[in-house]
Amino acid sequence: MVPPVAVSPLIKTARYSALIAGIIYGKRRYDQLKPIAAEERRVEEEEKKVREEQERIAKAIAEASEESILNLMKMP
Amino acid sequence: MAQAVQKLVAKVPTLIGAAASYSKPRLATFWHYAKVELVPPSPAEIPQAIAGVKKILSGVNSGRLGQTTVKEAFRNGLVCTEVLMWFYIGECIGKRGIVGYDV
Repeated sequence: MVPPVAVSPLIKTARYSALIAGIIYGKRRYDQLKPIAAEERRVEEEEKKVREEQERIAKAIAEASEESILNLMKMP
Repeated sequence: MAQAVQKLVAKVPTLIGAAASYSKPRLATFWHYAKVELVPPSPAEIPQAIAGVKKILSGVNSGRLGQTTVKEAFRNGLVCTEVLMWFYIGECIGKRGIVGYDV
């Protein structure tokens, strides 16, 4: 087996400081993005409710107009 | 169906034994190398690291860095890429996910 390489201290410190910096960066970005995503979800929920309300109204109007056509056909 | 499940359950200990006997020597090799190569720097080594950074900076100023061969430059580029990858692994650990942020 090849004997293990003696890694230079510069590379070792660079590796582990990069690791710790990455952990800190990841945690900070996650905490920053979480409320933004929650806000977007809330806005999406409200818009969906408004959209569904409008669709319901449109469907009711469509059914009402359809009834009048059928009634016309049923007239003697 | 029940018999097939029973036979499978009976085979699990042998499978675990086989997996352990397969992985033990490989884990031993990994540990043998990792004990020397992957350990964090001891507090005595940090001044050496700072001295190394100073040496690189003085090399930049004196123009010695222009003398690096392509082979050396390639090797240094690979080392820098590896250090960068450790940053991304740290980011994955910090955001507790591999792909994307799970918000």
